Amino acid sequence: MSPAEIEQHQRFLRSLTAHEPAVRAYVRRLVPSRADADDVMQEVAIVLWEKFSEFRQGAEFRPWAFGIARFKVLSWLRDKGRDRLVLSEEVVDLIAEETALDETRLERQRRALETCTQKLEPDHKHLLMQAYQPQAQIQQVAATSGRSVTGFYQWLHRIRRLLADCVQRELAKEDAS
Amino acid sequence: MNLDERIHRYMDGLATAEEVQQLQNILLTQPEARRLFADLANLDAALAEQATGWESPVQGKSAKPQRTAIPHFWLAAAAALTLLITGTWWWQSNGAAHATVARGIGSSTFSQGMQIHNAAYEMEAGTVEFITARGAKVVIEAPASFQFENGQRLWLKRGRVAADVPPSAKGFTVITPTGQAVDLGTQFGVDVPQQGQAEIHVFKGEVIAQSFKGGKRQSLKDGQAYSLQSGAGAAREIRSAAFIQPDEMPALQAALTSGQRSRSDAAMAALRQDPTLIALLDFENSKLPPGTFRMTQGRWPGSRAPEFVNVGDHMKLDAGGDHTWPQLTLAAWVRLDRLEALYQSLYHTDGWDDDKRGQVHWIIKKDATMRLALKRNTLLPGSSEKDGFPDSATPVLPEKGRWVHVAVTYDAEAKLIRFYLNGRFDKECLQATAHPALLGPAQIGNWDSQDRKLSGRVDELILLGRTMTDDEIRALFDAGNPYL
Repeated sequence: MSPAEIEQHQRFLRSLTAHEPAVRAYVRRLVPSRADADDVMQEVAIVLWEKFSEFRQGAEFRPWAFGIARFKVLSWLRDKGRDRLVLSEEVVDLIAEETALDETRLERQRRALETCTQKLEPDHKHLLMQAYQPQAQIQQVAATSGRSVTGFYQWLHRIRRLLADCVQRELAKEDAS
Repeated sequence: MNLDERIHRYMDGLATAEEVQQLQNILLTQPEARRLFADLANLDAALAEQATGWESPVQGKSAKPQRTAIPHFWLAAAAALTLLITGTWWWQSNGAAHATVARGIGSSTFSQGMQIHNAAYEMEAGTVEFITARGAKVVIEAPASFQFENGQRLWLKRGRVAADVPPSAKGFTVITPTGQAVDLGTQFGVDVPQQGQAEIHVFKGEVIAQSFKGGKRQSLKDGQAYSLQSGAGAAREIRSAAFIQPDEMPALQAALTSGQRSRSDAAMAALRQDPTLIALLDFENSKLPPGTFRMTQGRWPGSRAPEFVNVGDHMKLDAGGDHTWPQLTLAAWVRLDRLEALYQSLYHTDGWDDDKRGQVHWIIKKDATMRLALKRNTLLPGSSEKDGFPDSATPVLPEKGRWVHVAVTYDAEAKLIRFYLNGRFDKECLQATAHPALLGPAQIGNWDSQDRKLSGRVDELILLGRTMTDDEIRALFDAGNPYL
């Protein structure tokens, strides 16, 4: 690599590292599962690098990355949509458009979540983090918690609901102060 | 199952095909649902993010090897170095308005140039034309509830929409409570009545219609209409006159701003003083004649007019039955569809019996000319009338649904029938036998003996017990004309 190429590569990685959680969360909102989000994210990262030379320096990286992610998700949906239960391209595109505009609020939510998970009982947090490990097997996690798989999912839904409520409250607090 | 639960099940891969379909319909139609969906998925992503960097405080419990997200990207980025850069694609972040008001007629909310964002609107009176960010012309007629979700999606809870969509706005979609219409470059209308099924009418081009509940996608082309109901939709008769088209708006607006409505009100007030007046139906007071019909907006913003849509729709009127009328004038504003129906009824006295000499049937025929038939009246020998009854010469329906004024006078003594269209004398017909007109129980928009449903709206229907002069009819038209 020439010095210029190395410089560009570093610039790219700095941007990507800074914005990766947002882009990943964006992709997550558009695909059915976290595993799908991981798959798509890998491809998105490749395309981002491929097209980084077209990216105007000084422009905002995040909207640009969102645009590419959206494009990738839609082509992924076209590939998978036939044999998987996924929401239609139309709905996904709608969510893509709307949530891209709503990113400020969503990012605040993600930050507030850290406060909220701190408030969980340690056992609950432990279980939750286990369930969210990459490639976690829910059957196993359910078994270690002494619940049936169905029961575990119900518990998971309840905890997520609690966290969502907590996030709302945290944000309201921020707005009030 | 509540929405929350549905979303969780989808995200956890537990949802069945049916559940996914249901969730999809909810998300498609409800912006708040999409917001909740985004929030929960966002939360899920954030939890995954936390979990990636999380280490179990309990030794040995975290059996999985720790992974962080970043190495993926180093690898991916490095791999990508060798790949070619192809194509261009850019992202457009759009904080601009979804639509702009081009014309507001009789609406206090919408003024010209107003920017429309993602807000819900209730419109009780008037007609408003919007231009979307991509150049589609969209006319919405009150009463309506709607929201532009973005520049390409209009959520219509009730009301009427006529859209003229250029290629740049292809894909413009109108979503109703029971289904949606996706435009493929065309002119089309969507009617969501207070009660009854939402309907899509395609005037030109092609539209994809889809009912939400188990509806297949249905392609509609020029002149086709379709109802969006639960289960399979159904084909309907096209009703172009049900919609105010973008090209109709300038003339409506000009008339209203020039004070035409007050001229119309004054003319009606004067007519009410006429001692020969038998009936004047402007449908503005709350006591409407009985019958089966829908109430829609009349010629003026916030005014009312009955609309006849379904087979059997009609309005009953029992007036002028106490004696016969040697002279008569019938007049009305109508907004009709060019349908192939044999007869559309403007005003039919009940029955058609031999002993009821002079009973009146006022009709629009298949060729869109008017007919005034009086029972047991006869034509002159050698009359040029082709069908055995006095008919007008000029078709009364314009190419597109518009308000037109129709009138006819009858003089039994002079044995003369005279037809008028939009205030202009059209044709007269002499009768050999002419009985005084017999009124009484009658139907507007249909006939009690057979279906002769009129398709469209009627406004300001007048029965007068004398013949109006040419000048009077001209003045009646001029005063009531909603176009300038």
